[in-house]
Amino acid sequence: MHMIEVTNLKKSFGSDVILEGVSFSVEKGQTVSVIGPSGAGKSTMLRCLIDLESANDGTILIEGQPLLQNGTYPHERQRRAICAKMGMVFQNFNLFPHLSVKRNLMIAPLNSKTLSPQQASEKADALLKKVGLDGKQNAMPSELSGGQKQRVAIARALMMNPDVLLFDEPTSALDPQLTGEVLAVIKELAQEHMTMIVVTHEMGFAREVSDKILFMGDKRILEEGTPDEIFHHPHDPRITEFVSKIL
Amino acid sequence: MDYLTEFFQNIGDTLSYMASLSVGMLDGVKYTVGLFFITILFSIPLGLCLTLLRNSKITALRGVTGFYVWIMRGTPLLLQLFFFYFGLPNLPFVGDYLILGRFQAACLTFVLNYAAYFCEIFRGGILSVDAGQYEAAQVLGFGKWQTNLKIVFPQMLKVCLPSISNECITLVKDTALITAISVTEILYFAKAAVNRDTNATAYVVAAVFYLVMTYGLTKLFNWLERRFHF
Repeated sequence: MHMIEVTNLKKSFGSDVILEGVSFSVEKGQTVSVIGPSGAGKSTMLRCLIDLESANDGTILIEGQPLLQNGTYPHERQRRAICAKMGMVFQNFNLFPHLSVKRNLMIAPLNSKTLSPQQASEKADALLKKVGLDGKQNAMPSELSGGQKQRVAIARALMMNPDVLLFDEPTSALDPQLTGEVLAVIKELAQEHMTMIVVTHEMGFAREVSDKILFMGDKRILEEGTPDEIFHHPHDPRITEFVSKIL
Repeated sequence: MDYLTEFFQNIGDTLSYMASLSVGMLDGVKYTVGLFFITILFSIPLGLCLTLLRNSKITALRGVTGFYVWIMRGTPLLLQLFFFYFGLPNLPFVGDYLILGRFQAACLTFVLNYAAYFCEIFRGGILSVDAGQYEAAQVLGFGKWQTNLKIVFPQMLKVCLPSISNECITLVKDTALITAISVTEILYFAKAAVNRDTNATAYVVAAVFYLVMTYGLTKLFNWLERRFHF
């Protein structure tokens, strides 16, 4: 069974077609990077996977369970249950500004009652240590740098023990000097075999960390392969052009 | 020497006159303060409910609340007060069941009127909450109500506090309107004293009462705004 299997995913906003039949799969423990020019539909595709956008057609299976089956969504309850297995990290962090760092981490497991307050507190401390922010428990998000905010956001997503983590351009809102600290955390997760899909413009990161790269362009996946195949032996001339411009 | 004695004598007389007026007005404070707290207690939750209806997906609900806000904000509070006190009992058929006491009518009018203002204040606050906050809450498994209560409302409140403060101070002063339906609040006593003694001092004393209350509120909201700074 694939961790995630997407078949013929289609999405349009009104008459504006964004995705024209996207298919791919992700195996357990894989890190998959999604690269390609702006407007290719990368973020929209990722948002469809976690139900932040509703697709128009296609099938999305998460651990074998249908979030979308031939263009039909199941009942709200089941949609939520399926998406609960995934976590997401946003470009703009989306931390809760009125809560301290530690409360940001604890609120979701306390809400869903998956952890007791004691367990949530211990887990929050452990995860903050993991992302290098031990001691920032009581800081407010407004007191943190962009890189620190994004590391808190990653820790917050990990609090729910997701089977899959989705990253939507996690470093695009950061200064170049701060991207490194965030990418280091994602690399560490990759080494621990967390299943991840990362939409990114960081080509160096994608080449180094990914097990598989999806190259999106023109509303579909133009090519998928290992970093070596995509960066050094692409079949599609558009990839050659994109890669030569970026690197 | 005589002049000086007379001068102090006059001041003493004025102060004791003001003190005697204050004692009378203190009796009116219970209506002013009572109306204030009843209005705040009921109009804020009601305003919040109206905001949620106003942002509803159902067009009819949005229309009805929009109409309500238009009526309540678009007509004078004093007119509404007269309508609820004098007008309701004259309605055909149901009028007999709608005879309200003076203070009851005042409370009903103020709650309904202020709820409309709070509805618009909260609506503005909710609009200011970033869409990313809802998305983050959704992917973290928050239900709709959890999102509202734990994520949206606290952020909304921070944005709304200055406007709420403004509204509360206006409310203190608006309570004076109920003197028009003869509720014996502060201004009612002041007016009576001025007519009785043909001396305007009572208005000054009443003004001091209102200033003390609004000063306290200003301080309270300054403190709240500092607490809600994040």
